[in-house]
Amino acid sequence: MRVTGRGSSGRAAGTRLLLLPAIIAAAFAGAARADDVQGKLGYCKDCHGVAAQGYRGYFPIPRLAGQQSEYLENQLRAFIEHRRTNNIMFNVAHTLKPSMVAALAADFQALNPPPIGGAPKERVAEGRRIFQDGVPDANIAACAACHGPDATGRGEIPRLAGQLYPYLIKELVNWGHERGQNPSRPDTSAIMSPVAHSLNKSQIEAVAAYVSYLK
Amino acid sequence: MLKIAGIEFGGGAPLNRRAKRACVNRAGAPWLLLAAVLAGMPTDSARAEDAPATPKDVQAKLTYCEVCHGVSAQGFHGYYPIPRLAGQQTEYLQNQLQAFAEKRRTNNIMLNVSHVLSPAMVAGLAADFKSLDPKPLGGGPKDLVDAGKKIFNEGVPSVNVPPCAGCHGPDAKGNGPFPRLAGQLYDYVASKLTNWDKERGQNPQKPDTSAIMEPIAHNLTQPQIKAVAAYLSYLE
Repeated sequence: MRVTGRGSSGRAAGTRLLLLPAIIAAAFAGAARADDVQGKLGYCKDCHGVAAQGYRGYFPIPRLAGQQSEYLENQLRAFIEHRRTNNIMFNVAHTLKPSMVAALAADFQALNPPPIGGAPKERVAEGRRIFQDGVPDANIAACAACHGPDATGRGEIPRLAGQLYPYLIKELVNWGHERGQNPSRPDTSAIMSPVAHSLNKSQIEAVAAYVSYLK
Repeated sequence: MLKIAGIEFGGGAPLNRRAKRACVNRAGAPWLLLAAVLAGMPTDSARAEDAPATPKDVQAKLTYCEVCHGVSAQGFHGYYPIPRLAGQQTEYLQNQLQAFAEKRRTNNIMLNVSHVLSPAMVAGLAADFKSLDPKPLGGGPKDLVDAGKKIFNEGVPSVNVPPCAGCHGPDAKGNGPFPRLAGQLYDYVASKLTNWDKERGQNPQKPDTSAIMEPIAHNLTQPQIKAVAAYLSYLE
């Protein structure tokens, strides 16, 4: 017998009662079902944009489209463990089963909408230079070494291409206050810590402008 | 300018006494002699200015290097495999930074990194990296390790591949201009050996020590390269 989720409203109450143990079992043990994943994906997109291209809510809400699945999974875990501080995402993340996280991450990585854009275009050339070459005199590493020449990221290193301009600025400015917040459990955010610290506000704006237009 | 077998050598770097002895002791292998002669040539001074580097400056620069090369310089998988520098030979590190700065070794990121470094800073960094000894990242296919060990220690005489241990040492720790390979990243070693002549020795007017490895990299097959790289990736 196939366990159905949505669209089963016509069934007799007795049948539903019989199905309940199976539903509970599926929820706790089985892989996330396609319907459930679609439902959850719709929920994520309420805030992250209909194609996960990012959205300017009260806060800048990051683009997840095309994001590296390993990075997404790491961040969701970081929210749960309070290593990355964000009350909304803590509540979102701690209800997600590992199989759901894996399915969502795969779906987000497959999306490829055009970037939202909107950053000051006159800063793009300078941002490109910092991204590709770094600022060796100021001990700022080239972003491209880890994030790739097209800012697509790899594995645990996030894609930055098309990311929202105000989101990038907020993250880089507040890095030390938002990431790696459990000193007894250091995570990959430590890699960016000295870089974020060394960049000045103007350099942050330039890099954010550059990557926000990348497809 | 020195000319051997139709190749002119103007670059290169001084070789320490132990390395020289190691080469001369294996007089049967002409390419090793070539290495000794080549490496014995005086170093060209590429950087005019030599500002002093305070310990604080060196520490800040080291932190910057370790953003990409790993917190203990054990190497890191960024977008590219970024090599382990921990325990590396200081002379090799200095040679490579100079090669990046002079575009004999092509790498845009490292060109930008290297060309702002004063000789004093390079010396400070190289000494610090040499003193580090973190565990290898590992990650090479374990089933290739035995085959790799055999190639490393014995070479592949039938195709004129000499034992790697001849120059890099039985423990792959390197010596002077010969780099340490122990604990180096699997995919980094594989990609360097595969692309040797596209990345190294890119100024025909200024041949350098990379010429020594060129025929060896050329003669190794892909399976042999992977085997050697797997073996090295686990060596402490």
